[in-house]
Amino acid sequence: MQTVIHVSLSGHSKTFQLDQEAYNALQAYLERARARLGRDPDYEEVLRDLEQSIGEKLNKSLRADSRVINRREVEVVLAEVGAVNTGNGDAPADPPPPFGRPRRLCRIEEGKWFFGICQGLAAYSGIAVEWVRSLFVIVSVFTGGLPILIYVIMMFVLPVVQTRNEYDASLRTHVGAV
Amino acid sequence: MDLEKFITLRKGLLEFLILGIVSSGRVYAADMMQRLSKTDFATQEGTLYPLLSRMRRDQLLDYEWQESETGPPRKYYKLAATGRKQLAEFREYWKSLTSLIEELGKPCKP
Repeated sequence: MQTVIHVSLSGHSKTFQLDQEAYNALQAYLERARARLGRDPDYEEVLRDLEQSIGEKLNKSLRADSRVINRREVEVVLAEVGAVNTGNGDAPADPPPPFGRPRRLCRIEEGKWFFGICQGLAAYSGIAVEWVRSLFVIVSVFTGGLPILIYVIMMFVLPVVQTRNEYDASLRTHVGAV
Repeated sequence: MDLEKFITLRKGLLEFLILGIVSSGRVYAADMMQRLSKTDFATQEGTLYPLLSRMRRDQLLDYEWQESETGPPRKYYKLAATGRKQLAEFREYWKSLTSLIEELGKPCKP
C-alpha cells in the first residue's frame, strides 16, 4: 500500500502527487527555510518564490503528468534550489530565548484610577487590572489597609510610564538587543 | 579560489553583480542564475530569492509580474532609481580599488 499526498505549490494550478517520504522531505525543507528566514518581513513571499521554483523543476523531471514523485526526485530538486541562505551567516536568525533584563515595576498613566499603580502591577504580572484592583480591595479589608500604605510608598518610588504599549515596548527593546 | 576569505568577498559582491545583470534589461531570477552559472558567483534560488527580496525592500530593484507560456507567471526585475545610483557608485569604487591595489604593489619611490 502506498500513501499519495496531493501537494499544491505556489503559482502552479495543478497539484503534485508525492509519496509520503517525498512529502516529508519537501516539508522539512520548507520548515528549515522558514526558520532560516527568521525575521525577514517578506518571508512569505520568499517561500512562495521557492515553492514556485520547486514546482517548475519538478515539472521538468516529470514526463507523464500523473506520476507519483518519490523522495529521490524531490531531493534532487531541493539540492538544485539549495538551502536558504540569508547572508547573515548561516545561524538561524531567531535569537535564543532572551534572559532579558528583569521587568521593572512602573506606574502607568493610561487607564489609571488614582496613580496607576494597579495598572503597573497588571502590566508587570500579566494579570488583568480588574483582578489586581479586586485583590487590592480584598487584601486591604482583611489586613486593615496594609496595601494602602504600600500604595502610598509606591506612588513616590515608582517611575511613570504613559501607556501600556510603551511599557511593553520598553521591555521588548531591552530584551531584543541580544 | 576556494579560500574562505574569497568566499566572504564573493558573498558581499553578489548584490552588485545582480544590479549589473538587472541593468541590462528586464530579467527574471532564472536569467540571473544562468548568467552567473559559469562564473565563480554561481548561485541557487535558496540564496538568490532572499537577496532579491531584500534588495527590493531597500528599493534597489523593482519587479512586475508577467505571464509565461510554459508555467506560472514570473517576476521580471528592473533597476529602481536607487539601484541605478548604487551600481554607478560601485563601478566607480571598483575602478579606484583596482588602481589602488595595483599602485600598492609597485615598489616605493624614494
